Amino acid sequence: MQDSDLDDLFGQARQPVAVPAALMARVLSDADALQPVAPVRPRKARLWQGLWAGIGGFGGLAGLSTAAMAGLWIGFAQPTALVAVTDAFLPVDVVAETYNILPGFDEFLDEG
Amino acid sequence: MPFDAASDTPDEALLVLYASGDRAAAQELAARHLPLVLGFATRMLAGDRAEAEDVAQEAMLRLWRVAPDWRTGEAKVSTWLYRVVANLCTDRLRGKKRRRAVGLDDAPDVADDTQGVEAVLVDGDRMAALNAALDELPDRQRQAVVLRHIEGLSNPEIAEVMDIGVEAVESLTARGKRALTQAMAGRRAELGYEEGS
Repeated sequence: MQDSDLDDLFGQARQPVAVPAALMARVLSDADALQPVAPVRPRKARLWQGLWAGIGGFGGLAGLSTAAMAGLWIGFAQPTALVAVTDAFLPVDVVAETYNILPGFDEFLDEG
Repeated sequence: MPFDAASDTPDEALLVLYASGDRAAAQELAARHLPLVLGFATRMLAGDRAEAEDVAQEAMLRLWRVAPDWRTGEAKVSTWLYRVVANLCTDRLRGKKRRRAVGLDDAPDVADDTQGVEAVLVDGDRMAALNAALDELPDRQRQAVVLRHIEGLSNPEIAEVMDIGVEAVESLTARGKRALTQAMAGRRAELGYEEGS
């Protein structure tokens, strides 16, 4: 018998076998019987615990702080693109008057 | 678990879900693995469907039991199941041989696996001939050949299932295939194969 004939037979043998419904039912009922019960988490009534969980613990606090600091930085630094936005809220007219405190001495050098 | 997500979830994730109380996970696992387990057990036990169903149920039971302790990343669920089935079948076959040797009169009726290749070939059924030839192989050779050529496992996976080295697997599959070829040789006409094909 050729190898290829044997391989053909193997190919035929690879058909998935049909599982009888009764067997599937027995297997699933075993699964139900042995399944661990999902643990019930105790409810904590403390306010701070709830707030802490709401913010997201240390990870959430870190993110919150980063966002706050980034906001402050943007506010101070005023990148050009933002100036248009901030001017709409708080227009700041910068009037700079210069006082010539130290005039040059060139005029005094002219004779007469 | 949404319906469409079930078929993409990896086996180990389903096992963890099952251990956490998810009821749908068990159904998906059973749908995926029970056909493979049943098919493999049937071949190992020479076509005895009742025993194969027992073995299949026992193997899945062990899976449910190990689920809470399953260490992810160590083994594939399918490989683990094949190993359990292989060991269960080996035990049952050894038990059968012991009972047969002891006393035939009061022994329960054993499935007719003594039917030789020649007898089965009379009606020219190729698949039955292959099954009969497989049944005549020594247990370990049959295991290796079925896992390699029917279940489609790789040699390293078979090594894990049978708890032997990869070279031993290759040797078993080669010897098994040779023995099958010999068992079915000379019957090509009866099997319906044409000359020179």
